[in-house]
Amino acid sequence: MKNTVFRDMAAMAFRNLSRHRVKTIITTAAVAVSVALYIFMDSWLLGINLESRRNIVSYEIGAAKIQTPAYFDKKDEQPMYENFGDWESIAEALDKAGYASAPRFVFSGTLYSRAGTAPMVFNAVDAERESRVLRYPGYLEAGRFPTSGKQETAVGTLAAEKLRVGIPRRIARTEFENDLLAAGTTEEERAFIAGLYQPAMSQRKAAKLFSGTASNTKDTDTLVLKKDVAPSERDRLWNLLAATGRMDVRISTVIDIKAAPETIRKEKFENDLLPSLSDAGREAVSGAYTLNGDTGEYRLATTDQRAIDAALAVMLDADYAGAIRHVNQLIDAVVVGVINSPNPKTNANVAYLPIDALQDESGLMLGGRVTELLVRAADAKDTKLPDRRESAESIDTALRTNGVDLSGRGLAVRGWIDYVADYIAASAQDNISSRVMIIFLFVLSFIGIANTMLMAILERTKETGMLRALGMTDGQLVLVYVLEAGMIGAIGSMVGIVIGCAINIPMVAYGIDYSGLSEELSGDYGYRVVAYFRSAWNPIIIGVSGIVATILAAATAIPPTLRALKMPVTDSLRFE
Amino acid sequence: MTVVKTVDLVKDYRLNGIAVNALRGVSLSFESGEFAAVAGPSGSGKSTFLHLVGCLDEPTSGTIEIEGTSVAARTRKDLALLRRRSIGFIFQAYNLIPVLTAQENVALPLTLLGTDPWDAKKLAARALAEVGLGDLGKRRPKEMSGGQQQRVAIARALVKKPALILADEPTANLDSKTGKEILEIMLQLNKSEGTTFIFSTHDKMVMDYARRLILLKDGTVDSESVK
Repeated sequence: MKNTVFRDMAAMAFRNLSRHRVKTIITTAAVAVSVALYIFMDSWLLGINLESRRNIVSYEIGAAKIQTPAYFDKKDEQPMYENFGDWESIAEALDKAGYASAPRFVFSGTLYSRAGTAPMVFNAVDAERESRVLRYPGYLEAGRFPTSGKQETAVGTLAAEKLRVGIPRRIARTEFENDLLAAGTTEEERAFIAGLYQPAMSQRKAAKLFSGTASNTKDTDTLVLKKDVAPSERDRLWNLLAATGRMDVRISTVIDIKAAPETIRKEKFENDLLPSLSDAGREAVSGAYTLNGDTGEYRLATTDQRAIDAALAVMLDADYAGAIRHVNQLIDAVVVGVINSPNPKTNANVAYLPIDALQDESGLMLGGRVTELLVRAADAKDTKLPDRRESAESIDTALRTNGVDLSGRGLAVRGWIDYVADYIAASAQDNISSRVMIIFLFVLSFIGIANTMLMAILERTKETGMLRALGMTDGQLVLVYVLEAGMIGAIGSMVGIVIGCAINIPMVAYGIDYSGLSEELSGDYGYRVVAYFRSAWNPIIIGVSGIVATILAAATAIPPTLRALKMPVTDSLRFE
Repeated sequence: MTVVKTVDLVKDYRLNGIAVNALRGVSLSFESGEFAAVAGPSGSGKSTFLHLVGCLDEPTSGTIEIEGTSVAARTRKDLALLRRRSIGFIFQAYNLIPVLTAQENVALPLTLLGTDPWDAKKLAARALAEVGLGDLGKRRPKEMSGGQQQRVAIARALVKKPALILADEPTANLDSKTGKEILEIMLQLNKSEGTTFIFSTHDKMVMDYARRLILLKDGTVDSESVK
């Protein structure tokens, strides 16, 4: 019997929606817009985050990195002196355990080309192993990946553009004539080069239309590389340009080496170094150094390697800058490729070069040492994020099982998420700001419903009195009004879900082109998505947003109904 | 059988800060099947009396019994259930729900009682036929005249066959011809169903129709006559 009462209450509530159709429609529309925007925003953030995470793992880090803990602590400075050797035994153990690994020596420096300079992060890699862990070596906009043993480098597109190396995608006409056409030594070569480019006008118009970013009217003399240029034509152009020296670059870096200093000035030794050490540390350092009265300097006085190592370790622990020796180094190289992967970090001011070409004195004197070993499951799928098997703990355990104790070697393995604080920050900030915006919108639309219900209940005070006189209980009256508001919420939610999903369909399939933003910020904006920010379906949130909107809408009817029920029935009946 | 019994009913309230003694010790009882009018000038306390008897308000002192049971110290919910089961109301302004059809308005008390929807529909149609609106069941209140709406209100009060129907100035908004028709209908129903009717009114015609007339003056029973 109670079911029939509920059904009739619901029928009455539904009929009540028709009393003020315009108001009901406006309120419903407000709920629909809120729900649709929430679904759109959530799907978009989810899509960007999923793609960013996949791109971080597939193009930038892998599932985890093995480094010294000290390197991790100072990783933003790329402290090349925090390196380790015998990575091959670790790689072998990882191979046995079903993990692929790639050694890297990361260092910073400046890259000079004929036309410019750029501060860079250099990744010295083993091309073959790198390809097992990361996918960017397959994303060459032009040229090829550096060959083992050669002083070659591949750079990111942004660096290539800044340094004017590689094949320009856009180029000013004067520069085109001076730099590119001049690379042709015969008429035929010049005609070949000229035939690869076209005026940028049509693209600019399109860009203006669709993104509104290309508004530089002075750019009329810009040429763009045609989209249908064949790979063989690209290679030929590359070779012609390379012959002019366009691809020749010079790496300038400082080799940092941990070494106990030969001499330390007296004041520095006594006033800076010693006070920063423990008693044992002071003993170790004082035992290794003696004061030279003539020069006023402390000199390394022992030849006992163990004593020197102990003193060095103490100084490094105390972050004594003098324990790092700096050696300037210039390395000549040739740019052989331009990287343009879906992860903007790989396309920024980054250069990749063969690690085996940097081993001796013409390189970085690495002596087989690396700063990190990237790890990914050998059978990992690019579409999937690392699972438990690829966690730092699992990798560490697998290594132990195969006879490698990382902590015993002064190393540690950390999961990829520990390395992407910039992405986490961008994602968290976007999440918060977007959700605050949507919650604000929700609040506005629910103020609308609350107002609609307040007016409706006030207007029906007399009717409420009559219903109470007929024997309707307070609970039944609350139910009728809650159902009425809930129906506004439910209809609005359903419409919102339909609109949200309709927006999501193209957003999931095509996304929004943010390549302009990516270039503008040199790929340094946290998210690891180059061009298209695509949404991703999130059925749980779609359902939950509809349910929450309905419940919130229903709840808005409770306060005015309770207020109306406080009024004596007789007063309600007299209410005009 | 006594349907309503009041003993020393007193109701005081404040209106705009002024103390009003609406009823000052009214003791009345109404037997089953009565067709009674409580009349008097404005402010005499007739509406207040009807509200108290209808359990819509609580007396300041005195007791009310409905069908032999005291309504004192009952909860809001109990009083609502008592009204639902035993009392029908007819209001001066009809108070129909505008979004429901005439038949749905009439069926509403049955719905609250949990009657099977199909039975409720049939009973509502029959009640409408009894008040002469058998063909207008699907009309909404705004599509009906004042007299028709008041007939729907009568059918709504009657459909659950309550022990008592309280009619507060039922003819006040109607012309005399329609008012007479409404009174005839109520009289017929009183005779055929045996339902007790108590009116509050200052309409001479209603007083003429009533078989028992109670005149209130300044919150007390001034006179009482039975035809």
